[in-house]
Amino acid sequence: MLIVESLTKSFPLDEGEVRAVDELSFSVQPGEVFGLLGPNGAGKTTTLRMVLGLVKPDSGYAEVDGYRTADNPIAVKSRLGFVSASDGVYPWLSVREMLLYFADLYDVPPIKAAARCEHLAELMGITSLLDRRAGTLSTGQRQRVTLVRGLIHDPPVMLLDEPTRGLDVVGVQTIFEYIEHLREVGKSVVVCTHRLDEAERLCDRFGLLHAGRMQQTGTLEQLRQQSGHNHLVEMFVELLRS
Amino acid sequence: MPNAILKGRLLRLCQKEIKETIRDRRTIVTLLLMPLLVYPIMSMALNRFLLTSGEIDDGFTICVSTEAERELLDSWLSNPLSAPPKEIIDSSGNELAKFMVSVDEDTSPAEAVERNDVDVGLEISNIETSFPTVTFYAYRGDSVSLAARRVVVERLQWLKLADAELELQRTEPEYRPPYQVNVTDVGQVAENSLLATIVPLVLVLMTITGAVYPAIDLTAGERERGTMEAVMASPVNRGYVLFSKYTAVVIVTLFTAIANLLAMFTTLWASGLLGLLTGGTQFPWLTILQMLGLLVLFSGFFSAVLLSLTSFARSFKEAQAYLIPVMLLSLTPAMLSLMPGVSLTGALTILPLINIVLLARDLLAGTVNPNSAFVAIISTTAYAAAALSIAAKLFGSDAVTRTSEKSFGSLLHRPREVSLQPTPQAAAMMLAMLVPIYFLVSNGLIRFIQASEDTSVQIMLLLNAAALVSTFGLLPLIAAWLGRNRFKTTFRIHTFGPLAFIGSILLGLGAWAFAHEAFVLAEAMGIGGLSEQKIAGAKESIDKMREASPLLLIAVFAVTPAVIEELCFRGYLFSAIQNTFTPLRTVVSTAILFGLFHVLTGNALLIERFIPSTLMGLVIGWVAYRTGSVFPGIVIHFVHNGLLNLVVYYEEGVQEILSVLGVGFDNQTHLPPLWLAVASTLVVVGATLVWLSSRGRIKAQAALATGSDQHDRKLPESTNTADT
Repeated sequence: MLIVESLTKSFPLDEGEVRAVDELSFSVQPGEVFGLLGPNGAGKTTTLRMVLGLVKPDSGYAEVDGYRTADNPIAVKSRLGFVSASDGVYPWLSVREMLLYFADLYDVPPIKAAARCEHLAELMGITSLLDRRAGTLSTGQRQRVTLVRGLIHDPPVMLLDEPTRGLDVVGVQTIFEYIEHLREVGKSVVVCTHRLDEAERLCDRFGLLHAGRMQQTGTLEQLRQQSGHNHLVEMFVELLRS
Repeated sequence: MPNAILKGRLLRLCQKEIKETIRDRRTIVTLLLMPLLVYPIMSMALNRFLLTSGEIDDGFTICVSTEAERELLDSWLSNPLSAPPKEIIDSSGNELAKFMVSVDEDTSPAEAVERNDVDVGLEISNIETSFPTVTFYAYRGDSVSLAARRVVVERLQWLKLADAELELQRTEPEYRPPYQVNVTDVGQVAENSLLATIVPLVLVLMTITGAVYPAIDLTAGERERGTMEAVMASPVNRGYVLFSKYTAVVIVTLFTAIANLLAMFTTLWASGLLGLLTGGTQFPWLTILQMLGLLVLFSGFFSAVLLSLTSFARSFKEAQAYLIPVMLLSLTPAMLSLMPGVSLTGALTILPLINIVLLARDLLAGTVNPNSAFVAIISTTAYAAAALSIAAKLFGSDAVTRTSEKSFGSLLHRPREVSLQPTPQAAAMMLAMLVPIYFLVSNGLIRFIQASEDTSVQIMLLLNAAALVSTFGLLPLIAAWLGRNRFKTTFRIHTFGPLAFIGSILLGLGAWAFAHEAFVLAEAMGIGGLSEQKIAGAKESIDKMREASPLLLIAVFAVTPAVIEELCFRGYLFSAIQNTFTPLRTVVSTAILFGLFHVLTGNALLIERFIPSTLMGLVIGWVAYRTGSVFPGIVIHFVHNGLLNLVVYYEEGVQEILSVLGVGFDNQTHLPPLWLAVASTLVVVGATLVWLSSRGRIKAQAALATGSDQHDRKLPESTNTADT
């Protein structure tokens, strides 16, 4: 499971500094899909980067299965899967080569990696693409490859950053199925998105993030009772106005 | 992680980088097409140039407007008196320039020159009188035209002078020229000189063109493709990723350069120009081998430098912007090889790039000095390592992701958290700084001592100690402070038991015998060795040292090196290397570094010191590993140095006692068996004591290592603290 406790990060500007993430706390249980929601610049990506150890927090910590990012980055990274909308591929490698490369980066033994590669490819329907050069893939195919890549080391925690950005209806449907699969196999999942309508369908619990601060957390039912609004969009509009 | 698995993994990581860059068509273009096209074209151009210069042999062309003008000019030029004096002809290769005079009545000579039909135009006015005026036209800025005009004007000048001299001798029979001029040549034309001047430049060009594209593609390209974040999110050591990239860049660079070399030699051979360049009739196999060796050095250096720069960049464009100045800058030192009189000595041996360019030149010209070559290679390796450590620090780092303006400064920023040991990258940086600083300090010291004859021995000794403290002492200290490394664990300041203490003293007492044997052996094998001159010099300085008190000698030559060098090698470097490598590799690599730094003393390279010092380094390293502390090493080092110093100081007395005992020996021969037996016993007992004293510690460490998480490689090393 994933625990985020009081994470804080400021970035220096020309004058003063901006607090990108401010005392952010939440936790995600196995088999739970947590939606970290907020408009652009709310601090979603910075939060994920701090969990991954790509950005050092000013204070607070992230903990995966009892390991803290700051103390044991390697143990944490090997337990995290990370997929972002801006992820690319190596154009000159075949899909299989690229997946096995990432298996090596995650120190998955080669035999296990090959088996896992086949299994996941079948699951995501990219078996026929495995020996294609990654540079020749379409956007939708590329997205599936990226999703498989994030799972190659079978991490207990998955972080998805804007997974539906730039995808068509079929692509978005693939993401839905993927997240459903993650929930089934008991992963703790964090989905960062500003697409509130999609989030409503995808996630079990929500955290509404604005200007680096967690404004509200809870299930859709709890949020409805707290806010008196029926949809996340309405809740957000009110949040932004106040 | 077991070693074999790590090796397989690292190999696969390297393979991926190589595949990725070799399959890229743009790599293939620089790799193969460039040399295949460039050299034949270059050779055609060269051929064309040689043909043109052949035309010059037929003479310069001069154009006049009338037949009368031509006759007059011909009569002047064919007059033997118009030839320069013999001395000048001798010094310019015994050749007299030829001229072809043509008549063109339709165009004025000036126009003919302007149209580039001829080299020089000529007009003679008042041709009917006995005082004609001659005007020559040359094309402004055209060196051939200007040279032709200068030569023809000079010829007429000589003619006038000769006429005047004849006239003078006729009227004044006593006349003698005021002085006689003779010319003589000195020096030798170096063999292979043309190749030796051109090749370094070609090597720089070849390796840079080969390295630029893969270096950008594998670093900035990773960012641009959007794969960087995913790689950085993985638990792999950044150093491994960068090392794989470095391997790929070096391999592509080598391939490019070899393709270039092949194309160049094939073209030269096919066009019959090879002999001209190499100055021989035989095919230059040795030269090609030498060039291959140089290529490895050049590509290793440039790949590291370019990678460190492209690691800053966030896009192809930015990377290119960083690289263009570097490429231009690199050509300047390459030009140095074209200059005679610049030699690979002194500070130039450690100047990056310049040293290897000069090394390439000297190697190909067959005039290389092995000592300078050694320094050049070692320092270049150090620079490459430093560049790579910078690259590893910056590659994919947060600093580069956010703001590029801050990334250079981030190199000197102290990290916020305290760490137990320095990173290997920080250690590599420290070493890279240590090489030139140590070189400057020790050379400066020697110069100072040579310049001031009357400096007292005491001051000299203190300066010696100060030099050691300010380099091997200060730099690791600064590095540890900059890296915010905890001093106790970085310098491995841990207590150790009485058994280890006694063992260390025994090792220190016995080890010198083996160092001596290694020294004698090295000399027998012809590695270094002391010349008569060196021995005489050493004797003289030893005699001078006797003026100082033995306590000061011990302080300077035993206490200071023992403390300072141990804190540096078995403290800082040991803990940094142990962080990533196995104990065996840590001991071996610190020992080799220890040996190398003992070779680099001031301006002279004491190569004969390498083997004994490395051997000492191995012994002390093993003890340092077993005990987990820097102190036993200090004890061994102190006892060893102190013993040798006292023996040298009281040499006469010692020799006397030894000869009374019947076990005397010479400085340069093997030890008597009795001595070896005693020394061996001391070493064996000492080592056993150290081994016994540290059994529990090593066991606990091993238990902790197997019990700890597979990914967590840092934990076992931290038992150093738990142990004490």
